[in-house]
Order: sequence, then structure tokens, then C-alpha cells
Amino acid sequence: MEQQRTIRKRGKLRIREDHISGYLFIAVAMVVFLLFTIYPLISAVITSFQNYKPFGSTWVKLDNYETALSNKLFWKACRNTLVYTALTVPLSLVIAFIVALMILPFRRGTQSFFKSLYYIPAVASAVVTSMVWLWIYDSSDAGLFNQLLTFFHLPTQQWLTSSKTAMLSLVLMALLGGNGSSIIIYIAALMGIDNTYFEAAEVDGATFWQKVRYIVLPLCKPTTLFLFITGIINSFQVFINAYMMTGGGPDNNTTMIGLLIFNNAFKYGKYGLACAQAILLTILIAAMTAIQFKVAGSDVEY
Amino acid sequence: MKKLLAMLLALTMVLSMSVFALADGEVISDVEDTITILAPPIITDYTTHLQGWIEEFNKMYPNLHIEVTPSSWDDNVSRLSTLCLSGDAPDIANIECQTLGTYVDMGVAIDITDYMPEGRLEDYDESVLGYMTLDDTLYGLPLYVSIQAMGGNKAMLEAAGVDVEKVQTEGWTYEEFLEAIEKGTTDDCFGFVFANAGITTTDFVHIFGSVAGLSNDFTADLKYAYTSENMLNLLKAIEEIISSGYMPNYGVEAGTRLVMLETGECMITGKAMPLFESNVNTNNAGIADGTAVEGSVEVEYVFLPCPIMEGATETCYGMANAFLPLRNKNTTDEHLKNVMLFLDYICSGEPAAKTAGDCYLSAVCESGREAQASMTLDQSEGNAAAAARAVSLVVAPPSGVTGEQSGIANTIMDEIIVPKMQALIAGETTAQEMYDTICEEAFAQFGEENCETGFIS
Amino acid sequence: MAAKGLYSQHHHNPRMRLVRNLVLALILLSFAGVVLFPLVYMVSWSFGPNVKMSSSLYTVFPRKWTLDSYKAFFDFSPYSLRWLLNTFIMAAGTTVSNVIFASMAGYAFAKVRFPGNKFLFFLILVAMMIPYQVTQVPLYILLVNKFNMSNTYAALILPGCVTSYNIFLSKQFFSGIPTALIENAKVEGANQFRIFWSIILPMSKTVLAVMAINTFVGNWNTFFWPFLATTQDSMYTIQVALKTFKDASWTLLSPMMAGATISALPMFILFFTLQKYFLEGVTVGAVKG
Repeated sequence: MEQQRTIRKRGKLRIREDHISGYLFIAVAMVVFLLFTIYPLISAVITSFQNYKPFGSTWVKLDNYETALSNKLFWKACRNTLVYTALTVPLSLVIAFIVALMILPFRRGTQSFFKSLYYIPAVASAVVTSMVWLWIYDSSDAGLFNQLLTFFHLPTQQWLTSSKTAMLSLVLMALLGGNGSSIIIYIAALMGIDNTYFEAAEVDGATFWQKVRYIVLPLCKPTTLFLFITGIINSFQVFINAYMMTGGGPDNNTTMIGLLIFNNAFKYGKYGLACAQAILLTILIAAMTAIQFKVAGSDVEY
Repeated sequence: MKKLLAMLLALTMVLSMSVFALADGEVISDVEDTITILAPPIITDYTTHLQGWIEEFNKMYPNLHIEVTPSSWDDNVSRLSTLCLSGDAPDIANIECQTLGTYVDMGVAIDITDYMPEGRLEDYDESVLGYMTLDDTLYGLPLYVSIQAMGGNKAMLEAAGVDVEKVQTEGWTYEEFLEAIEKGTTDDCFGFVFANAGITTTDFVHIFGSVAGLSNDFTADLKYAYTSENMLNLLKAIEEIISSGYMPNYGVEAGTRLVMLETGECMITGKAMPLFESNVNTNNAGIADGTAVEGSVEVEYVFLPCPIMEGATETCYGMANAFLPLRNKNTTDEHLKNVMLFLDYICSGEPAAKTAGDCYLSAVCESGREAQASMTLDQSEGNAAAAARAVSLVVAPPSGVTGEQSGIANTIMDEIIVPKMQALIAGETTAQEMYDTICEEAFAQFGEENCETGFIS
Repeated sequence: MAAKGLYSQHHHNPRMRLVRNLVLALILLSFAGVVLFPLVYMVSWSFGPNVKMSSSLYTVFPRKWTLDSYKAFFDFSPYSLRWLLNTFIMAAGTTVSNVIFASMAGYAFAKVRFPGNKFLFFLILVAMMIPYQVTQVPLYILLVNKFNMSNTYAALILPGCVTSYNIFLSKQFFSGIPTALIENAKVEGANQFRIFWSIILPMSKTVLAVMAINTFVGNWNTFFWPFLATTQDSMYTIQVALKTFKDASWTLLSPMMAGATISALPMFILFFTLQKYFLEGVTVGAVKG
């Protein structure tokens, strides 16, 4: 009895100590956050209710939101962004996972070699990458993909300039372009799986696919969730591809919300409207993320 | 002691000012002042040239310090917007004039007439000042007007029966143009290629629009122009050229069109400027030493005006580049006068001559043209004549357009016309459908009575 | 070695293993060829001639190989080397501060119980969702107008010195560490800092290395904020400087590619230095219970 009380007492003390150290651990991060993220966030929220002018903004209540929501193009852009996200995020995760799995059985040196090969493209700047992709997708016979099609006697395509293929082209570019860091993160997760799991499975006569299905996938769940959520966030904000490659066309089939926000903020000087659209986008992303956490289930510890 | 010194200093300043005022009949302040300028690379090494001009300027006004912030060409607009929105705009910024409305709307643009040095405004071509005017208010000074039309391969054009010299000096009709590109189209060569994919679609609409007599977003009586019959004619013409195979039935990237010209895969290309003569000549020279584009052939570049449809008035699309004074936290009347002194200096005389000259353009102010008289361009006679003619055909936006109207026009261009044009090129919509969509949107935004639906002659 | 057990080792049939690995290698190599293509273009054109170009070049290799463009890159400005140094200082500063502070915060959110834990983490996630276009203006007002920090390393480093992404990343990894391990240490009297320093960090080299390389590369390539925060060419980062190779009508293609290639080198070096940490297995991704 006496003993139990001391333990409980010590437990309480522990908890309080934990509180303090918890706050100390996050102190620097939170200060940075307040200044460089929360402050801009609050500022954006305030601006979204204004007709913003650097000298003399006026309050316009919900006008910016009404303008944003009543604009047909905004909805089309939402749809495009959703389609783009729904295609790129899961597919690039699958690709990263498969590549990571394929790299796994090799010896150290070979592993490093392949990891480097797949990570290195991340160092190329967006300018270089988009220059090269414009050539790859050029609709004339000089385009790289079209040269390939001609070689196989197939009809050439109008990659970025036809409504049928423009969105798919941007998706393909994302799939082939930016998986380096996902692969690295997946490999780190895979390397961390304890071999005893597999040994036990081996004894039970499990096949390769069974091991992937019942050991690797569940154990990689926090990693997958992380990549999925950050992937969704990035993909919802994407605009540079539409900005540099298609200008949103043809027929606004590749106009992303990010492009509208960019144009309103930096091209038309409608900063209040841009903020309203950004807040709406944030709400949309937050909703998607919340669903993700729910769907991911309760068996993962966050 | 300090106070006394300060008072003495102030007294000397006042005294010297009044002395100057008495001497010249004009107040020249020698109070120290710093002027900031955000300068994108308008021409190669622009900031280097700018430093030289600042030295010259400082010989006259040693009290005015100029701080240059170099910018990049592609991202200058985003940077400038951010600075303006932060209330930290540079004193002087460079813009393409169709974006003027943005800065007027933000409340950072400034009516320059009150701050302009006495008698200096007359130096600038009045017609060009229209580009910097919104709501009858003048907001900046022009640096040059880039004339944008078409360019061609002289040998091919002559083989197709075109009298190049006559076209360069007198212009041509749309029928003549159509006949030429029909003859110029072979299995390995398009008669006509215009960069019209992605973000270049806007240029295509503006420049090729002049073929149908569309010179600006608004007509002289301030009605929206892209709902006119001229627009429908233009769209139908584009539809016809593409379906006949004289022009690629896909969007062409900006880089591709020049490659096609340099490799003999097209006869006429756009958008093209007089400056391209230099680009093509560089490539010709590179054929020997291996620095030219793969598959290049020797091409003699000719700058051509856009053809003109029956009943329409010939114009040339011009894009004015200008310097604007902008409002920031430090802006005062006295400061603005200093700002305009320097702004006027770099937009006129020798600096204007050099900047425009490097773009193979003539200056748009009297003093600039005088300074240019002594410069020689590496330009063929025919191209020089065609360029001079094009300059005379440029029509500035009608005066009286408001910032709001110009803003709506820009949005319709980006969100309706450009995407639909891309669809038209890809054969996914028809000219009539596209025209109807534009009308529907424009009527909703401007009101039908403010849109021109007849023919603009 | 950890995780090797996923694949059958084919102990009875080494040839089978060889064939399997060859097939895998072949697939990996051909896919890598596609992925690497932009990089090949970048490197090969960096050996192209130092001439102004007005059009894109639709060939993989230049017709004439020279080192002129590298020379041109270094001659382009007296600050060419300084740009690399500036970028390095920005990227390294950001990386170090992220590795320290983001991992600390990540650990606290994952394993330390304190009131507001869930809410603050949620806030951090939401912050990540705000598009950057609308945060640049307040950020500029704060750092440049209020703190007067333009053209300083502080202005370049501060906005990214602890990112949501890195906190989230480290939290996910730390969640996988068995709580029992921490509880045991507590019973033995260790405080949280001690636990973090001597138990958690040594187990987490991989995630820290991943975080470091991602942060470094991300900052090395970042453009818009340094573009806003620097007004003197002596303070440019390499990405800002590379953009000045293009003016209204010309591009110095090969010197630009040479610059891009040179600027990629430090990232290669860092990547290979950190390589060994990527290979150490850690226990990640544990399931509750």
C-alpha cells in the first residue's frame, strides 16, 4: 500500500517533469513557428477579409471568399488539383516503395550506387528540369517522346497542348521526376525492420508476397502515412509545372489552385483574394489530411 | 553645440538653395537623397551600363545617391509585387506596360506630371505616353516600344513568289499571306509557325490579332474589343490555316519556332522582332564552328509586318517597356522630384539610345533618337525599313481606360482567351464556340453595352 | 543484416540469386536512365560552347565539347565563388538547426506527454498547408522591414531553421521507438534530455541523415526567398545568381548549365558523406501494442 503510493507520487512528479521538458524540447521550434509561420498565417487570414492595399486597406467582410467561390475557374482548378493529387501521390508512393524494395537485396556498395542514382535527380534545379521536359513533351516531331513514337511507327501526340494528354503529361513528369527523397525514406524504414520477423515468417513457409503484405507494409505504415500526407500537401500547392509548362491550358485543363493564387498575389495584385483562396485551399488540405489520419486507422501510434 | 551646428547647417542649406533659386529661376536642392531602383536585365549587362550612367548623372547631381538592385528577367514581376505589397516598393521599377493597372490598383503608382522636371515631358513621343496612361493619368516614362510581328526566311519567301522588299515597305494583305504560306508548305516545311504553346499563347493573340485589326484590348470609344466581328474573323482564319496544314496543328514552344526557322523547317515565324536578325546571324556564323543548332542551314532573316484583312486598319503590336516611380514608406514630394530627375535621365538621351538600340529598336524620345543617329546597327537595309515602318504603325491603348477595366481585360485574357485558344489550336473547340464563350464572359464582366460587337474598321 | 530476410537467400541455389539480382539491377538501371535524363542534359551541356543562345537546343550532347563555359561562369562575376559560399552557409546553417531543433520537437511530440501536445502538433501540420505565395509578404515585412535584415545570412537562414516537414518526419520515426525503452530509462532515473541524448539520438542516425540531406538539398535549390532577401550581388545564393544568366532575349545556356553542375557538386559530396548512415538500420514503424 505504502509502496504503491510512492510509485504513484513519483509518477505524478515524473509527469510534471515531463511537461517541463516537453515544453523545453519544443521551445525553439515554437518560437520559430510563432514568428515565421503562425504570424504569416494570421496575417493571411486577416488579409483575406480585406481589399488589401499597402497604403490603406479596407475591410470587405466576406467579399473575397464570395468572389473566390463564385468563380467557375476556381472550381475547375480545385477539380484539376484533386485529379492531379489523386494520380500522383499514390502512384509515386507505389513507385518509391517498389524501387526501395528492389534496391534492398543488394550488397552495401551496390545499394549505395542505386540510392545515389535515384536521389541525384533531386539536385537538378526546377529551371533545368522544366527545360528538359519541355523538349521531351514538344508536340512537334523534334519532341523526344514523339521521336520515340515515330521510331515505333506510332502516331505522334500533342503532349502538353491537347486536353486529352496535358494533365497526364504533368502527372507522368511528377512520377518520373521527384521520388528520390521518398525512396531514401522508404529504404531507411525498410532497413529498420528487424530480421527476426522474416526469420519467423520463413519458418512458417511464408512467400515473398506474404512477407511484404503482412510484415513490411504494416511496419512501414508510419512512413507511408508521412509520405502520403506531405505528398498531398505538396501536390495541392503545386503550381510551378502549370506555370512553366502549360500556362494552365489547354482550356484550363491544367490550371491548379496554386497557379490562381500565384497570379492573384503576384500578377494582378489582388492580394486579399489570393489570401482568401489560400485559406480555402488550406481548409481543403486540412480536411484531406484529417481523413487520412482517420483512414490510416488507430493501430498506428502517432 | 550640436544644436548650433545643425542650425548653422540648415541655414547654409536654405541660403544656398535660395541662391540657386535666384540664379536659375529654379530650385535645385542639394539635400542628400537616396533613390532605389529595381533593374531587371532589360538588355545584356544592363546593370553595368546603368552604373556608368549613374556616374554621369552624379556629375550633375552629386547629392543624389542611386542604389541599384539587380533583378532577374523571369521573376521580376513576382519580386516587384511582393515589395509593393510590403510597402517597400523601390523608388523606380521597370514594367511591361500592360501590367500597369496592377500597380495603379494597389495604390503604389504615382501621377508623374507634377514631379516631372520642367519642360522635359515634351521630349517623349506623345503617342507612346499613352501606354503609361490609365484614367487619363500619366504614371511613368517609356524606355522603348518593342515591335512584335513576324520574321521569315528570305530565300524561301522569294521562292514562294513573295516580293519581300515590297512587303517590308508597303505591308501585305491577308490573301497574299495565305497564298504565300500555302506555297511555302512542303513535306518538310511549314509555311507558318507561331510560338503559341503554354505561356506564349498571349503573344499569339496580341500579335496575330493585328491581322484582323485588333490593336488593343479596347476600342477608341473604350469598348472591349475581343467581342467584335474582327475577333470572330481572326479565330476563323486561325482555324482555316491550321486545318489546311499550313501551320502545325499543335502548340509550338517558344524555342522551337526559332530552331525551325534556323533549320529551314518553316518559312515564316512569329513572334519575331527586328533583333532576331542578330540571333539568326549568330547561328549562321556558328554553322562553321559547330556552335549552331543541329541541322542549321544558312538563313537570311527578314523582318515582316503582319498581313491585314480586308476592311481592317493596319497596325503593329507594340509592347512598351517603361520605368515607373512607386510609392513606399519614404515617399515625399521632394523625394519624388529627385526620383523623376533620375528616371527621366535613364529614359532619355544616351541611356535610352543604348537600351533601345541593343534591342534593334529606335528610341521613343527626341533626345534618344538624336543620340542614336551616331550609332550604327548591324542590320540589313530592308529590315531597318520594315522596323521603322512598324514603329509608325504602333497604336497605344486609347486614353481613358481605367485600372479596373484593364484588370478585367487581363483576367479574361489569362482565364478565357488563352486557354480557349490553346484548345482551338489543338482542334478541340471551334472558332464560333470560342467566340461565344468570350462574349458570354465579357458581357458578364463589362456589361454588353461596353463590349464592341460590330466590326472595327 | 537487418531486413535481408525479406528476400529468399537461395542458399541452395546461388545461381538463382545471381539471376534474380541481375534482373532487378537491369530494371533499376533502365528506370534510373529515364529519371537521370535531365541531369545528363545539364552536365553534358555544361561542356557546350560559351555563346548566347536564343533558342532551346534539342540534342542531348553539344557538338563541340569545351571547358569555356566553366571559365565563363567563374569570370561572369567577381562573386562567383562567393555565391557558392553563401549558398553553403545558408544550407548548412539551416540543416544544422533543423537536425537539432526539429528532431527535439519531433521527439517531444512523439514521446513526451505534456498538455497541448496534440494541439500544437496539429497547428504545425496546418502551418505546412498554407501556400507559400501568401506568406512571403508578411515574412518580408517582418524580416526586412521590421528587423532590417536584408542581405544578411540570418535572413536567409531564419525562416527555414525549423520546418514543419522535419518535425513531422522525425516524429514519425521516433513514434516507432518502443515506449518501454524510454520508461525503463526513466525508472533508472534518467531525465528526458539524457534519454534523448544518449538513447534516442544514437538510434536515429538514419532519420537524422535523411533529414540533413533533404534539408540541405531543399535549401540549396530554394530560389524565391533568397531572391527577395538579397539585394546585393555579393549576397546572392547560387540559384539567384543563375537566374541572371538569362535576359530579355538571350540565354547563356552553357555557362548556366556549368553553374548548375558546379552547384550540384556540394550536394553530391554531402550525399556520399552521409551514405554510411543511410545503411544503418533503425527500428522504425513500430505498431502499437
